[in-house]
Amino acid sequence: MPSLRSIRGRIKSVKNTRQITKAMEMVASAKMRKAQMRVRDTRPYAEKILELMVRLSAIESHRPNIFFKTRPVTTIGIILVTTDRGLCGPINANVIRQVNKFMADRPGVRFEFVAIGKKGQDFLRRTGLKAVGSISGVKDRGKIEEILPATQVAIEEFQEGRWDEVWVFFTEFVSTLSQKPRVEKLLPIGPDVVEGGGKGASPFLGEYLYEPDTTEILDVLIPRYFESIVFQRVMENFASEYSARMMAMRNATSNAKEVIYQMTLIYNKLRQAAITREISEIASGADAVQQG
Amino acid sequence: MSFMLTLVTQERELISEEVDFVKANGVDGEFGVLTGHSPFISLLDPGELVVRKGEALYSYYVSGGVAEVLPKSVIILANTVERADEIDEQMAKRARQNAEEALKQPISEIERRTYLLELKRESVRLSIVARRRSTRHPGQISEE
Repeated sequence: MPSLRSIRGRIKSVKNTRQITKAMEMVASAKMRKAQMRVRDTRPYAEKILELMVRLSAIESHRPNIFFKTRPVTTIGIILVTTDRGLCGPINANVIRQVNKFMADRPGVRFEFVAIGKKGQDFLRRTGLKAVGSISGVKDRGKIEEILPATQVAIEEFQEGRWDEVWVFFTEFVSTLSQKPRVEKLLPIGPDVVEGGGKGASPFLGEYLYEPDTTEILDVLIPRYFESIVFQRVMENFASEYSARMMAMRNATSNAKEVIYQMTLIYNKLRQAAITREISEIASGADAVQQG
Repeated sequence: MSFMLTLVTQERELISEEVDFVKANGVDGEFGVLTGHSPFISLLDPGELVVRKGEALYSYYVSGGVAEVLPKSVIILANTVERADEIDEQMAKRARQNAEEALKQPISEIERRTYLLELKRESVRLSIVARRRSTRHPGQISEE
């Protein structure tokens, strides 16, 4: 039987934990609302530029462009988007599971990474996978400049032929209760970069007029495309992170409540048992005095 | 006859609706688009974007980007956009003055070009503001 004192101590410590998880839940939910709005705001651009790139990739005269040309795959570059902090449910573990599965499905291919987020960096270090670049501490304010170092490295690797494909791994924000790990191919650009064959993308297969000219437009558009998609995916990841954290902390808070309830029950029982024992001791003591 | 106009930046979506006419500032000069335009893609210079929907005219400042014109839709992927009523007139005036003064100094060719560009940008901003003032509706400018 635990002593009264030790139970009292435990109740106190669980109460502290509850307070912390409660506070984290509230912080996460405030951040989540903003992050969700940002996801909504950034989705249209990413969608539109993706559709445009797919349309452009279908045009015959663009085929020689290195960003549209499929080549035999020996090295795949992966942009791994994770959170910086833990305590956000299973979302990082789920993404990493996808990475492992992806690699297991492609034997004989080399993999190199650009990590956005500390958890991904930790994973790469632990497993000894090659990271050519990594950034962490990205703010959730929605400024694209912060992720440019990562995208520039990736584009360069691809352009100089060291990477034959570039994929991005992240957690898509579906709803507050649901976040899905996602895998997308970004380069080379082809019809297969849009999941499900491009919903809503009008299949325009004719030729455009260009101002000033094709090369110049593609030189502007391709890095833009790449940056915007990665940026949007990072925003998705933020919304997922905060939602997952809010849910995880809400669960932790209610678990703590349950534990406190159970322990208080035990504590009260023990206390009453002690009181009863004391009374009966006093009573029997008094009896003995009277009889003697 | 209207067509679908989408005006987006990386940070938000400004327009996604049926409109009748769009005028934008391409690198090779201004262009206007009506329904059924032949497909083309143009890079955009900093300038004004005018949208007509029915009788109403709307005006935006676009800092650059890409426009894709298709027969039944126009998609503008802009770098940054300010709605006419979002333009900070005081700031634009100050920036223009700065640029004007800087241009009077003896400066390098590269600097001169950046300031000229700046001057042009701010002038466009201010002309949008000036026109907006003649009507009551935010974002709406008077008939030309």
